[in-house]
Amino acid sequence: MKTFVYIMLGLLLMILETAISQRVSLDVLKPELGMPIILYATFFLGARSGLVTTLCISFVQEGLSSAPNGSLLFVNISVFLIAAAMRNKIFIDSKYSFAYVCSSAVIVQSLLFLALSILARGETRGAFNIIFYALPNAIVTGFVSILLFTFIEFMNESFLERK
Amino acid sequence: MRNSIAIVIAILVLVISFLSFTNAPFVARSFASVKNGLNSFLGPALNVVSKPVEAISGGLGSYFNLVGAKKENEELKSKVDKLFLENQRLAELERENARLRKLLNFTEKKPNTMIAAVVIGEDLKNWFRCIIIDKGKKHNIREKTPVVTPRGIVGQVVEVDLWHSKVMVLNDTNSSIDVNIEGKNTRGLLEGTGQNTLKLKYVIKNDDIEIGDKLSTSGKDGIYPKGIPVGIVITANKNKAGIFADIDVMPFNNFKQLDEVLLIKK
Repeated sequence: MKTFVYIMLGLLLMILETAISQRVSLDVLKPELGMPIILYATFFLGARSGLVTTLCISFVQEGLSSAPNGSLLFVNISVFLIAAAMRNKIFIDSKYSFAYVCSSAVIVQSLLFLALSILARGETRGAFNIIFYALPNAIVTGFVSILLFTFIEFMNESFLERK
Repeated sequence: MRNSIAIVIAILVLVISFLSFTNAPFVARSFASVKNGLNSFLGPALNVVSKPVEAISGGLGSYFNLVGAKKENEELKSKVDKLFLENQRLAELERENARLRKLLNFTEKKPNTMIAAVVIGEDLKNWFRCIIIDKGKKHNIREKTPVVTPRGIVGQVVEVDLWHSKVMVLNDTNSSIDVNIEGKNTRGLLEGTGQNTLKLKYVIKNDDIEIGDKLSTSGKDGIYPKGIPVGIVITANKNKAGIFADIDVMPFNNFKQLDEVLLIKK
């Protein structure tokens, strides 16, 4: 149930972001809204829920982006695998530590995409663009993930964990 | 145990996505069809969400315009200034009228070759410059269809789903377009930079080009028809090393403010 709710929240946020960014020029302020959902599911619900969330979020991201087929799925699954491996090593005790993890994951995601483009296809034309946006994306995602974490915790307490 | 199964499945998906990215024949085709199937649900969802977003942004725009108009009214005390502004507005309307009439003539000459589409979204990632339009396979849209506005070229369709399509905009880093300098015998390749300006490449320093020159499509790339306006030269540096000049171009379209576009059917 929780996994389904988180996935629906992620999908709604991403579709909203796509529609809004056409009206309001977000550019460097564009957050990576799928990442906090993937990480929350992986860290707090386990690898199985994390994988299902990652797959759903990644396919929607591929649908809403002109990124080459498979590229966003590849980087998100890689981030999921790293998160699943670090699950017992990193202790997320507050929204701020969650924000740090999300920001780091966005930087890892950008670097993975860059490495994938260069090593698998030899494409370097978009490299500067990806490097240029990596840090702003991470910072903005960090701030947004604080709000998302608070909202998800509120949802958990109010609706999803009610006895 | 359950976690181990999830990790194994994740590694399998990782391999499949990598093969799809590298265009391994069977995997890439299967992945594309799965993705297209799932994307069929995204178009209607995006259409539904974009309507209230459009309404809210329209309402906010009207409010800000009203505030602006009030301030402007206070500032415009003298009658001469008012008349001057009115005059400017009329001139702008006249220019717009002429431009639209030109477009109307253009579409009337070939009524079956143009399809109007509404822009419903923008690429989720800021690594790419892409817009999403509300026309797809259902409307006979195909990949590589040129997309224009009355001002000029916007880009080309790169991905078509059932209800929506993705248009790669000129300033995407993967975009290239063959252009001519209007009224001159100079040709070059216009490439996206990911920023607002474009780079005109392979123009030799001896070629006749200067700031303010207008560019239009040459029709030689097999995608865009000939003679559609593209942009204007804003810098032309011939002092750098090498045989080619360093030229920046500002596109005629503001890709951040596109509401409707036209697709040219081939």
